[in-house]
Amino acid sequence: MIGRGMLARGYVAAVLFYLFAPVAVTVLFSFAASPRLSLPVDGLTLQWYQEAFSEPLFLDALRNSVILAVVTALVAGTLGTLFSFGLLQLQRRTRNLLLTAGLLPAAIPALVLGIALALFFREFGWLPGLRNAAIGQILAGLPYVILTMHARLETFDFTVLEAARDLGATPWRTFRDITFPLIRPSLLGAVLLTTALSLDEFVITWFNVGSRQTLPVLIWGLMRRGIDPAINALATAVFFSLTALVLLARLFGRRSA
Amino acid sequence: MAVARQVGPVAAFYAVFFVIPLSTLLLMSFWSMRGFDVVPAFTLSSYTESLSSGLYRTVLLRAITVGFGTACIVTPAAYIFCYLLRFTFPRRAQLLVDLALLSLFSGYLVRIYAWRTILGREGILNSFLLQLGVIQEPLRSLMYSSPAVLLTLAGLLLPLAVLPIFSSMVNISSEHVEAARDLGSRARHVHLRILVPMALPGIKVAFALTFLLAAGDFVVPSLVGGTQGVMVGNVIADQFRGIGSNWPLGAALAFLALGAGMLVYLAVAELPRFMRRAR
Repeated sequence: MIGRGMLARGYVAAVLFYLFAPVAVTVLFSFAASPRLSLPVDGLTLQWYQEAFSEPLFLDALRNSVILAVVTALVAGTLGTLFSFGLLQLQRRTRNLLLTAGLLPAAIPALVLGIALALFFREFGWLPGLRNAAIGQILAGLPYVILTMHARLETFDFTVLEAARDLGATPWRTFRDITFPLIRPSLLGAVLLTTALSLDEFVITWFNVGSRQTLPVLIWGLMRRGIDPAINALATAVFFSLTALVLLARLFGRRSA
Repeated sequence: MAVARQVGPVAAFYAVFFVIPLSTLLLMSFWSMRGFDVVPAFTLSSYTESLSSGLYRTVLLRAITVGFGTACIVTPAAYIFCYLLRFTFPRRAQLLVDLALLSLFSGYLVRIYAWRTILGREGILNSFLLQLGVIQEPLRSLMYSSPAVLLTLAGLLLPLAVLPIFSSMVNISSEHVEAARDLGSRARHVHLRILVPMALPGIKVAFALTFLLAAGDFVVPSLVGGTQGVMVGNVIADQFRGIGSNWPLGAALAFLALGAGMLVYLAVAELPRFMRRAR
């Protein structure tokens, strides 16, 4: 049995090693003094961070990415949650049909969504830019919000809402004092997921953002030009910011749940 | 109508930004190219051209092979991972799933870039092997090969496969598994007769997701696969962003790829039922 336990441990460790090897490489080389990106690392430096954050294109890309993430999370979060609430008041058959329809964009490759939207915007004269990219990201994010919120609302006790209404609460007050606190942890999870997806979305954005920059679009450009350690610095900063964001949200969500 | 007000916005959003664009793309696949312009004149030539050209058939077939290969590596690997978390390390399971998902935060493009750093000619793996003295000069074939493409894609998609499989295993009670073991079932039996059928919805989602995302990817083939690794996604992307682009052809290729992908998925999804009947 000891051998078996070792094997199980070894397998889990190997999978995690496989998943985190690229992350470790990125973090390590973001501090490595030599720009060669090969071992052994001779000396540590913060030069790449300095370069990354002083480059005007980087700051522009960062700003655009944050704008897109906020807009996508807010719009997809609100629309997707509303949709999931509406579904529950429908009969089972209609509900399942609409749920499947709501998840459909996730079943179409991002490349196809990206080019279809680019064509559509062109036909209707909407010039490429942040607006078009935001629409694409909302479309890509909605299925995930719907999936998360639908799973949560299936076990939601609607009688509390009726009770509140019977006691004379206005719809807004019912929402603010009862519905929202109850769904907050799942909503937070859905919104965080959409934020992370949006910050990382490349394909749809690339076809629709035109000459504007976002972090992934900029990284794509740098990658095609060759090796640039600033990419590692930027990616490391994003990785730890996202991790911190999620940990904070977990803490915040747990305390109030 | 409260329901209409709640369902309406998403329905309208999908109608305008999902249904119409995809219909436009479908329509485009039947239009003609005159010089560098797209003209709305019906033709099937984009489809006949895609199907008769050896190059397009090759890239389509390669995308499906790579997608299928990735899904066949990732799904069992994720299944074993989830099984161990659920039944061998149940107390750490949630933490370990979260850890697997955390790797996604380093970014899709950046992880591909990191695999290039690992597999490159002067990369980490080569310099490591050189120092050990296993090899005398750097291996060229580490990068720009199909194993490299599979390795990178599998690493990118594994966390996404873990999620659905794990959530379909959460509801399987360990008593079920123990009961089967107590009754003398062998490990193989416990998996094939009990666990896999019960987790099948999650396994199907994981397979479909990894197949779809791997077959449709165009970044990994162009950065890790090299010129020999071009897949249909690269060709489609080039028809829309490259020089000498041909939108109707790109659109036709996209729908052919979607159709082919759907056929492969249906064949795989129906396999368990078929096998049960055969037995």
